[in-house]
Amino acid sequence: MAMRQTPLTCSGHTRPVVDLAFSGITPYGYFLISACKDGKPMLRQGDTGDWIGTFLGHKGAVWGATLNKDATKAATAAADFTAKVWDAVSGDELMTLAHKHIVKTVDFTQDSNYLLTGGQDKLLRIYDLNKPEADPKEISGHTSGIKKALWCSEDKQILSADDKTVRLWDHATMTEVKSLNFNMSVSSMEYIPEGEILVITYGRSIAFHSAVSLDPIKSFEAPATINSASLHPEKEFLVAGGEDFKLYKYDYNSGEELESYKGHFGPIHCVRFSPDGELYASGSEDGTLRLWQTVVGKTYGLWKCVLPEDSGELAKPKISFPETAEEELEEIASENSDSIYSSTPEVKA
Amino acid sequence: MQTPLTTTVPVLRLPRGPDGLSRGFAPDGRRAPLKPVVPEIPESQESRESQEQRARATLRERYLRSLLAMVGRQVSFTLHEGVHVTAHFGATDLDVANFYVSQLQTPIGVQAEALLRCSDIISYTFKP
Repeated sequence: MAMRQTPLTCSGHTRPVVDLAFSGITPYGYFLISACKDGKPMLRQGDTGDWIGTFLGHKGAVWGATLNKDATKAATAAADFTAKVWDAVSGDELMTLAHKHIVKTVDFTQDSNYLLTGGQDKLLRIYDLNKPEADPKEISGHTSGIKKALWCSEDKQILSADDKTVRLWDHATMTEVKSLNFNMSVSSMEYIPEGEILVITYGRSIAFHSAVSLDPIKSFEAPATINSASLHPEKEFLVAGGEDFKLYKYDYNSGEELESYKGHFGPIHCVRFSPDGELYASGSEDGTLRLWQTVVGKTYGLWKCVLPEDSGELAKPKISFPETAEEELEEIASENSDSIYSSTPEVKA
Repeated sequence: MQTPLTTTVPVLRLPRGPDGLSRGFAPDGRRAPLKPVVPEIPESQESRESQEQRARATLRERYLRSLLAMVGRQVSFTLHEGVHVTAHFGATDLDVANFYVSQLQTPIGVQAEALLRCSDIISYTFKP
């Protein structure tokens, strides 16, 4: 019996969600940070979407947000011309890095010692986080505002995207190694370290390039303009979302469209797989983040699979809690439990 | 338009949102330091019972985290009568009465999947 995907909606933001990032897998699970035009980036538990805290301090829309690998630090890029570094455990602001224009993108190195920033001033900046007072190293060359900048090749190189180009830079020499030109605006970029793959979206295309040589690997066309795409850690699937409010899931090997999901009430700005690949998160103009299962019907996080055959252990007494659609629960209870229970006892969780 | 009858995946609850009162990062949240925070109440006032309770809770949490850290790793078990076996740890049940393991190396061969009764285990060790 096919099951329909139940996305989990994370509310809290009051304006469009424009960026999101997952941490690595830590002993406490993994975490998710969302950047929002309301200026208040939020930290959430990655597998459940539960809100942990809000980073307060920016005075403008937050355009980019990232977590370091062990989720102890967060960095945000904002329209108030600053990038900020935060303690992701306490929520305290650690550093404010002044820029000369809107900052759009931030990325930590693997060891969290350096922060890469980029924005409308067309400069890439590298800050040594152990010496926050020191001036950052600057790399110039972009001719339009930088939308995304990422460390790659074990932090030895930098990938950056502006409106129409994607450029690869050598960290040590601070010089450009290669560049790609596009005749359509580049909307997003994702770097996959295992396999050195770069995912670039522009127009309706989702393109995969080698992160080392920038040589194209393959590309797919979606039914609508795509704003963001993400490749599954095991490289079996990719998900993409854009202007038609839908999320598309493709088979990476064949390019076949496997699923499409409606749910958001506005264009999707960002989509990312979790580090364990079990779910993906999407952020939208509608101000929400949604979590989607990679394998629909699997028990994971807040999704709880109920098998019709199992009576004893997985028996679901009707748990009532305020926010859920009662009808949805009822539908499932009656599907599976008519012959199993004589009555559905109300159990307050 | 006839669509096949499907159910939606059930969920335990919806993700919790901001509390609307604070900026969050609860001091007693998931990532609080494992050492118990110095309590507000002076120790003399706090009953021995609640001190013990907190100590037990901390130890329990540490033990559960150690089980989590073991998942997927190679663990060496010392059983009765000087028997040593190794296996990949999978999970325990709720009461930690059984360990579900795979690739159990026994003196009489390798068992692909097995349940080890905790009452049979004297000690176990692993490298995180």
